[in-house]
Amino acid sequence: MSNHPETLRLNGVDHTAHPTWKLKETVHFYRDIMGLPLVHAVTAKGWGRVDEQHADFLHFFFDSGNESLIAFFHYIGTEQPPELKVPRGYMSLANHTAWRVSTEAELLAWQKRLQDAGVKVSQFITHEIIESIYFRDPNGYPLEITRSLRDVEQIDAVDAELTIEAALRLEGAEGWTNIEQFWRAKGELVRARQDAALSGRETAR
Amino acid sequence: MSGFYVLDVPDFRSLVENARRDPACTVHDVVAGYTFIEFHEEIEIDRAATKLGEAVWFGCLTGGLDGRITHFSPGKLRLAPTNLPILPDQGH
Repeated sequence: MSNHPETLRLNGVDHTAHPTWKLKETVHFYRDIMGLPLVHAVTAKGWGRVDEQHADFLHFFFDSGNESLIAFFHYIGTEQPPELKVPRGYMSLANHTAWRVSTEAELLAWQKRLQDAGVKVSQFITHEIIESIYFRDPNGYPLEITRSLRDVEQIDAVDAELTIEAALRLEGAEGWTNIEQFWRAKGELVRARQDAALSGRETAR
Repeated sequence: MSGFYVLDVPDFRSLVENARRDPACTVHDVVAGYTFIEFHEEIEIDRAATKLGEAVWFGCLTGGLDGRITHFSPGKLRLAPTNLPILPDQGH
């Protein structure tokens, strides 16, 4: 729950940005295969900082809808540092961009468009509140297209608070190794919530 | 009182409906947003009967558990009562 009394809000994603050492493939993928309009490009001689030895670069933006952009930096004459290569394995998939579509038909159409262009795309994966397809861009960056299955309700936020509260109790604890321990810790919080609600009902009588 | 909690949202409703058909489970009324499904002995939940997709299935205890998992595979989940502490160093 927020402790900030003033109303200070963010208004959605303006852009995310990633480095690329595959200029041609990246433009082909986003502009030609996905069909995202190329809407803006910056070109600069470094940032003018001599000491930093910042490479000259291109910075270009594709329109991903609803006033959001996905952008790339191309640093001229540089090699991709090993630490910026997308690692294999599921953990690196956490670092991803997910775009929203409205309908199942749209999600199917995206899946088909990508598959027809030779992109390896997952089957539909149904989560609690969304349904998604997953794929990677030519840089290996993980991408997702998703549709909402239902609105998020107040009870979802309550549940998320209890989840985080239970997790914070366990974080750093010796021997926390699995989700069963977490589910049990959360069960204690949910029971306390139910007990409080039931005793409130008794008091109200 | 052993059991598990299910958030009262459509995503998990079929889990609750499935429990109503299991004589080993007692499904309590929704309180403060959660349904408590009580059991007194080991129970087995069949994923096909719950109609849950795998991604939701493997998160179906996210409402909380008072018990232990004796088996969790893509097809079956078995839960049982427990007196063991949550963390190994508790209870010493």
